[in-house]
Amino acid sequence: MIPAVGQLEGDPPRPASGPGRARLTALREAGVGSLISTAAIAWIVAGAACTVAWALVGSRGYYWPVWVWAGAGAPVAAAALLRATWRIPAGPGRWAGMHAALAFVASALLTLTWLLTGRGEWLAWVLLGLGVAFAVHALLAFADRLPPRPSESALHRRVDELVRTRSGALDVQATEMRRIERDLHDGAQARLVALSLALGRAEQRLVDDPEARALVRSAREDATAALAELRDLSRGIAPPLLEERGLVTAVEALAARSPLEVRVEASVPARPDPALERAAYFVVSEALTNVVKHASTADVTVRLATVRGALVAEVLDDGPGGADPFGSGLAGLRRRVEALDGTLVVAPNSPRGSTVRAELPCGS
Amino acid sequence: MRVVIAEDHVLLREGLVALLRDAGIEVVAQSEDAEGLLRTLAGHRPDLAIVDVRLPPTFTDEGVRAAIEARRRWPDLAVLVLSQHVEEVYTAELLAAGGGGLGYLLKERVAEVQEFLDAVRRVADGGTAIDREVVAQLVRPGRDGGEGPLADLTPREREVLGLMAEGRSNVAIAGALVVTPGAVEKHVTSIFSKLDLPSSSEDHRRVLAVLAWLSVEADAEA
Repeated sequence: MIPAVGQLEGDPPRPASGPGRARLTALREAGVGSLISTAAIAWIVAGAACTVAWALVGSRGYYWPVWVWAGAGAPVAAAALLRATWRIPAGPGRWAGMHAALAFVASALLTLTWLLTGRGEWLAWVLLGLGVAFAVHALLAFADRLPPRPSESALHRRVDELVRTRSGALDVQATEMRRIERDLHDGAQARLVALSLALGRAEQRLVDDPEARALVRSAREDATAALAELRDLSRGIAPPLLEERGLVTAVEALAARSPLEVRVEASVPARPDPALERAAYFVVSEALTNVVKHASTADVTVRLATVRGALVAEVLDDGPGGADPFGSGLAGLRRRVEALDGTLVVAPNSPRGSTVRAELPCGS
Repeated sequence: MRVVIAEDHVLLREGLVALLRDAGIEVVAQSEDAEGLLRTLAGHRPDLAIVDVRLPPTFTDEGVRAAIEARRRWPDLAVLVLSQHVEEVYTAELLAAGGGGLGYLLKERVAEVQEFLDAVRRVADGGTAIDREVVAQLVRPGRDGGEGPLADLTPREREVLGLMAEGRSNVAIAGALVVTPGAVEKHVTSIFSKLDLPSSSEDHRRVLAVLAWLSVEADAEA
């Protein structure tokens, strides 16, 4: 960067690099400094001389050297303050600083004049003018540092972008879950079936060796147990029936597998969006699991309906209640539902039990 | 017995073929997808088709659809559907599609070799083999609203009903419960009177009546 002092003094631009430039700037700074110091000493000497002259003349009435003090002091003070403003980095800030310095010196001078000349109303107006001018300058200089006020269209664009990326993230997650479920099905599960088939055939051939036969049999049973666990895991990740036959059928299957008596009332004329179906399914699934945990003998009603453009999934039980609305399972569900602009409410029923209700707006 | 297999997983297909060959059952053709299955069935007219539920191209429920289509086209064809998860709704759809022998079992049942081969022979003979996981859902006491006839059954009767719904004969049920066939017969008579079903001495007919009752009546009463 070109040293601004050099520019002010009308010097030609200098190469903007190397230690030489810094030394030059320091020298010039020192030069300006000593100039101002000399001016200040001259001011004191001149003021003092005038005061002595005033005293010698013997006219003790009007202290006229005050004008010398003020008249000569103002340029010195202005120079000193302007020099101080050079410490501010070049740019609008430095210009505003210079403005402030000059305005300050001018105000001081004017106030002194006002004190010495009859104290009219004019000072207020002049100071107001100076203040407003400085305020406008400062505002312009620092406008870029004020917190930005985004325009409405920019906000709309941002919201659109967030909605798009959020639903994109949900789609990616659902696709990933399906992929994991398929990988399990075609990989580990298929191999375990093949393994247990081989073990079953081996068992058949070990008629003469009951000990080995028992070993193979227990290995086969372990493989079968592993398959049952993987099947439950698959259902928890991406229930095949949900994808193949939709929400109502999948929820009916959930109800059929539940150890509780679960009644399903459904009025969902058309298949909702897959993301909504998944959210509603997992709400019902988690709520049923909760009821089993807290009320092993409760009767449960599951309601699925589209109401005023929203998919509503409701699980009502008549158990002793106790579902913690802020438990980790329900908190996860709430996040899932809210990501689709929906709401999840857990409320007690009268006289007993509780209701978990998720409302998911369609076509959002 | 002549069998056609539709299974896209090579390891399983080969295992299944070997298992059936060991038991003296002839596998006349194999296919890897639903379309191939229907073509093969038209060409070979086997006694039994063993079908995996998930087949190319979408790997969802093509096998069930193909089995339903096959039962419609060839009403006498016996179909055994294998899947890694069994669902009540598919059982009902398969049963409704035709009158030939029907099996619907979890894939892992193939490892219980003797029972699996029994099921294969039973289905090929026009009988039924429904997985016990589905049957457990069908006969649970709360199914008909908790106040219907299912709730009136004794635990033993529910056990017998379940085994009957799986497609087993009286003799097989007696063997599984370690009781005499006469005792089973007594339970069966009691069950049929509680469910208000006409009794029948023929196994196949009896199973179908039970399954029809379980998948229609119980739902209606709930």
